[in-house]
Amino acid sequence: MTLNLCILTPNRILWDSEVKEIILSTNSRKIGVFSNHAPIAATIDIGILRIRLNDQWLTMALMGGFAKIDNNEITILVNDAEKGSDIDPQEAHQALEIAEANLRKAEGKRQTIEANLALRQARTRVEAINAIS
Amino acid sequence: MAMAALRREGRRFAPLISPRPITAVRSSPLYPTLEDEGPLGLRHISTQVVRNRMKSVKNIQKITKAMKMVAASKLRAIQTKTENSRGLWQPFTALLGDLPSADVKKNVVVTISSDKGLCGGINSTSVKISKGLHKLNSATGPEKETKYVILGEKAKAQLVRDSKKDIELIITELQKNPLNYTQVSVLADEILKNVEYDALRIVFNKFQSVVSFVPTVSTVLSPEIVEREAESGGKLGDLDSYEVEGGETKGEILQNLAEFQFSCTMFNAVLENACSEQGARMSAMDSSSRNAGDMLDRLTLTYNRTRQASITTELIEIISGASALEG
Repeated sequence: MTLNLCILTPNRILWDSEVKEIILSTNSRKIGVFSNHAPIAATIDIGILRIRLNDQWLTMALMGGFAKIDNNEITILVNDAEKGSDIDPQEAHQALEIAEANLRKAEGKRQTIEANLALRQARTRVEAINAIS
Repeated sequence: MAMAALRREGRRFAPLISPRPITAVRSSPLYPTLEDEGPLGLRHISTQVVRNRMKSVKNIQKITKAMKMVAASKLRAIQTKTENSRGLWQPFTALLGDLPSADVKKNVVVTISSDKGLCGGINSTSVKISKGLHKLNSATGPEKETKYVILGEKAKAQLVRDSKKDIELIITELQKNPLNYTQVSVLADEILKNVEYDALRIVFNKFQSVVSFVPTVSTVLSPEIVEREAESGGKLGDLDSYEVEGGETKGEILQNLAEFQFSCTMFNAVLENACSEQGARMSAMDSSSRNAGDMLDRLTLTYNRTRQASITTELIEIISGASALEG
């Protein structure tokens, strides 16, 4: 019973192969998915996705989207996604600092919301790097 | 040399003494007359006119050839993006289905076209299909209304003429910056905010291959209609078998899903249309430069005939002049 995972972003297909288990963070909670899961349609928040292939865990940073799970097929559609191993730690930390600075400087509702969003994205990326090690 | 000088002078004297030169120019239907009748009713063909024509046709050939190459390189760049975005809307169709036959009151037709011309017939086909959809919907009932949202100058020019009151939103200059998902999702958001709809039908040209562009309609239904269709069974009936995660109510999730589906489908449609535009422009410019080449060949033949005719004329003048002197 193999679980097939497909991660799609508007720009490219990020992942299309079999996995053993995934841990998905939806808007309400984190769910773990094994093979033969009941059919689910879920919204995904900005957060990390953990993938297990044969006792090895991989992390990916997802920037919000949807997931559909049925018949041992998981389809994840997100605005953007990055593999944890592809993220440069230096650059991610810098991005986090810049995002925090922007949030402090932000004035007005719109800027605050945008700054918050950027901060969450930067934090997710940093988490993705840390989670591997 | 002397001949050349005489030739130049000869142009002034030719009307006086010359038999009719044999040319086939008059019989060719392509050109306006290149000859003027002199005072004695004799034909006087100017090689200057033919030469000017040849120069301009050659320039046109060069320009269209360059345009074809530019379109080819732009096509290559956009094609990879388009193929990558194709995978995105397929899961939506698998989950929610693409129901062009859904019976709805408020239709919104989103017509995607290009801003620049010289791209063959793709814009006219898109407009024709949009008008057809409009007619189809109005024919089935009086309370049905169809509105247009137009992307691109070319469709705007054609639809503003006769359907001005049905147009909700016009967006142009899409391709100023390279197309990316963020820009298109902002656009989709604008459309969703400003337009009331039950079903959105996106009309665009799908890029099958460099020579084939198929006009397609993608349908995105609003969440209420999705619920309605799901209850009535059929393809969407499976939707209820999905347990829904994500904290909020099912209705809100469906709403988010519908918006996401719209922006993904729009992104794909805009990319495919851009690809088709470049491909159509490539083939239009290619046939244009080939036509220019043919025209150039024909003009060269005419030019040579004209030149030989005028040389013959001058020779005859000189010889008859000389023989008159002798005896």
